[in-house]
Amino acid sequence: MTVTLALPSKGRLKEQALEALAKAGLSVGLPQDERKYHARIETCPGVEVVFLSASEIAGEIGAGAVDLGVTGEDLVRETLAEWEARAEIAARLGFGHADVVVAVPEIWLDVDTMADLDDVAADFRQRHGRRLRIATKYRRLTQQFFTAKHGIQVYRIVESLGATEGAPAAGSADIVVDITSSGSTLRANHLKVLSDGVILRSQACLVTSRRTRAPADEALIAEIADKVAKAVG
Amino acid sequence: MTALPSFAADIAALLAERGAGIADVPILQPANPFLDMAGEDLRRRIFLTESETGETLCLRPEFTIPVCRDHIASQAGTPRRYGYIGEVFRQRRDGPSEFFQAGIEDLGERDTPVADARSVADAHALLARVLPGVPLAVTLGDQTLFEAVLAALGLPRGWRMRLARAFGSKPLLEAALADLADPPRNGALPAPVALLALDGDTEALAAHVAEGMEQAGLPATAGRTPADIARRLIEKAQLRSIRLSGEAFAALKGFLAIEAPLADAATALETFAADAGLLLGPALETFSRRAEALAGHGLPVETIRYDAAFGRPLDYYTGLVFEIGVAGAERPLVGGGRYDRLLTLLGARTSIPGVGFSVWLDRIAAVREGAR
Repeated sequence: MTVTLALPSKGRLKEQALEALAKAGLSVGLPQDERKYHARIETCPGVEVVFLSASEIAGEIGAGAVDLGVTGEDLVRETLAEWEARAEIAARLGFGHADVVVAVPEIWLDVDTMADLDDVAADFRQRHGRRLRIATKYRRLTQQFFTAKHGIQVYRIVESLGATEGAPAAGSADIVVDITSSGSTLRANHLKVLSDGVILRSQACLVTSRRTRAPADEALIAEIADKVAKAVG
Repeated sequence: MTALPSFAADIAALLAERGAGIADVPILQPANPFLDMAGEDLRRRIFLTESETGETLCLRPEFTIPVCRDHIASQAGTPRRYGYIGEVFRQRRDGPSEFFQAGIEDLGERDTPVADARSVADAHALLARVLPGVPLAVTLGDQTLFEAVLAALGLPRGWRMRLARAFGSKPLLEAALADLADPPRNGALPAPVALLALDGDTEALAAHVAEGMEQAGLPATAGRTPADIARRLIEKAQLRSIRLSGEAFAALKGFLAIEAPLADAATALETFAADAGLLLGPALETFSRRAEALAGHGLPVETIRYDAAFGRPLDYYTGLVFEIGVAGAERPLVGGGRYDRLLTLLGARTSIPGVGFSVWLDRIAAVREGAR
């Protein structure tokens, strides 16, 4: 009887995840060697802790390879098709806040809402010989927001794995869908968020994988989720 | 399902009888034309792959776009009719991801009502051939008529475009109508910009925007230009001062509620236009001539219904849209329509009108199974 808990392997997110667990009485005994990626929780010997990158954690939860994980809600929703069938958010942890937003050049003075963007996208091809291009690493969230929520069909996504905010100035895209916490990076790049352009207010979450498992494991997972939820609530 | 169903031979025979030579369409296609025409949402519903040189390819998700592209590339003369029957590949939640489609694309026929009616008649004949004795029902819609109503109501361009885009989707249309009744407020504009927009001073506005673009390091030639932004700012300033009158709103709703057997549809439209005091001109004339042409094909007109709100959710349809299914069944067996802009969008130098339809062979097979 063991369950696997995946934690972010580095940075602020790792520290804050460890703090949240400690607050819930689940202190992780860190290995002496920083390069090791496994650990245990003294008070809870049935839990094996592994350290992975935050986006890998979302994927592994979806695949059912780990039982619990701390990762961003944005990554869960972006990485997993029909995420609700495969994962469940057990607790929102109150850190790692970031919004996934639609941002356009500030100088697009006529564009304030998604309806404006719909207008602009509709005759973009006629005017410029190509579709409106959106730079993003959030392909799925962008499609859901643009197509399913706002009925905007005609745009192209340009995959961007870094420095997305720079894409409009670089001429590789017209607008961006990106993550922002304070908005300062967007402002520095002369971009503005549309008034109804917040796709998701994301934060770090304790996520459980939905799959059938032994009742004892199930109980242990519920216990951990409960402790963490109470500690951060 | 990788072998053609038994009735495919009957379909092939019908395509030949109707003068639609079989187009040779490779299974592996460049993905860009599909994503460009149908939208990015298609990406998750098709099978993508990549060539060694990095070109994005896909397994043929439909035939219309490749048939049109081949037509443009071969510089074939028009009018010309292309038939097809073969596998298409899509990621579907229900049903297999490989299935068969057949259809006819009719390119370059300048007589719109004639070509429209023939397309519906071909589709109907095809179904009647492989589903003998099964009662069929045809639903017709007409994007041009809707646009004519919008124009006759005197709506500004921005609103006409928004509504025309929403045509065929009930939720989108309702959202657009709600916005028309109560236009959302724009965020506050900086004072000089607001004034220039109110004055309609395109040049000064464009100069202001050009300056801003330069400061932001935005390439002025790569996308939206200062003139584009200035024009739309002025358009928005004008729109804000307009409210859709209660009368116009009622007329729009009244139009969308029209649903009638084809034989009565033209009269219903004329009555509507007269009551609302609107001139629908050529759009109504095309509609009437198409209805006559349909009757001329010997189609059972009592099984054809016109639904003013019926559209198909693809950006490229421009006029007639239609579906044919088993009477009373939910899923259509055939979908089709007119796409007069598509060939230009795909790179044709001159405008080539087009109309066509596709049938789902797996759905036909299911009906045949059920009938047995």
